[in-house]
Amino acid sequence: MPIQSAGPRLYRSVKFKHLVRGAGSAASRASNISLNLTPFVDMMTILVTFLLMVFSASGELLQAVKGLELPTAQAHDTLQQAPVIIVTKSEITYQGQLVATVDSVMRDDSPTYKIDALFERLDAAAKKIREDVAYGRQAKDLLKSCEDAKQNIRPPAGKICPDGLAILQADESTDGQLINKIVNTAKAAGFDNLLFAVKNK
Amino acid sequence: MAASIGTDDKKSVNIELNIVPFIDLMSCLTSFLLVTAVWVNIAQINIQPKGKSRDQAQVQQDDERVILSVLLQSDRIWVGLSRVNEFQEIPKKGDQQDWERFETTLKEHKSSTFFNDRTDLEIAAESTAAAPVKYQDIVHAMDIAVRAGFQDVGLSDPQGLAARPTL
Repeated sequence: MPIQSAGPRLYRSVKFKHLVRGAGSAASRASNISLNLTPFVDMMTILVTFLLMVFSASGELLQAVKGLELPTAQAHDTLQQAPVIIVTKSEITYQGQLVATVDSVMRDDSPTYKIDALFERLDAAAKKIREDVAYGRQAKDLLKSCEDAKQNIRPPAGKICPDGLAILQADESTDGQLINKIVNTAKAAGFDNLLFAVKNK
Repeated sequence: MAASIGTDDKKSVNIELNIVPFIDLMSCLTSFLLVTAVWVNIAQINIQPKGKSRDQAQVQQDDERVILSVLLQSDRIWVGLSRVNEFQEIPKKGDQQDWERFETTLKEHKSSTFFNDRTDLEIAAESTAAAPVKYQDIVHAMDIAVRAGFQDVGLSDPQGLAARPTL
């Protein structure tokens, strides 16, 4: 590509006299503009302080489910990692997989008072967790809690033995009968320690 | 006495601090904290499923101890003692359960000789299609029980309560 001479340029080829005048007059004043950063720094400091106060190192153990409103309580014990049973207004899921619909469970009048599909999944999970605990495939502090539990020593919050531990994340408007069925099913499968997820007041 | 730092004017008493690194740090920290913030503070109530299941044979309780049982119904709460067979009925106040009286009752039981060294209690909800009991009420009852000193709350089937009122 051949090299060509430069085209028209501002102030040289195109005479913008008014602009030249303006630039000339501005040059007589200081060209530095000092921004007042004090409010910005104040706001940042307040924001960082607030965010540090609400910061949770444990992260989110529960997944947000659309339309699920947790019951409120004044309990302050922190949650810990465990299999999660989610009960929304229409569905029961275990570890994110649909187990049954609320309507079908409420219609079921079986005398065993259990949810069979949920029992199968919980039973398999309970066996796996028990095996993990037996072979020491869990965190050391949790294994210690399992030993303490045999001697009826209460574990600290968030350090409950994972053997037989599950989380129930149910909507606040869930029928008590359905909760009874889920608790009964969990108990039959070997989950004799349930954590009811609640929202802090 | 005063130093003029960052200015060309030797007589100036203004000190200019370089706040650029501070703003950089604050911006990074704010972005990180905003991304990792947990806005809903979730806690837990620890419960143990208790009592007999419906498919288990109804056998006589061989527990020598008195057990404090709470039965939640849609229009009242029953607080009962097994073996003694004493029941207190707490009717609904307005459109809500009388939680204040329930808490007072539990605290009275906690200070009694039966339970002053114990922390166990069993709760059951009798919910029917005509008279449903909501999960929020069950959680509220458990929360109150924990506050009253009964940390070992057990959720039982209404049929499996140690002390069940006969209506």
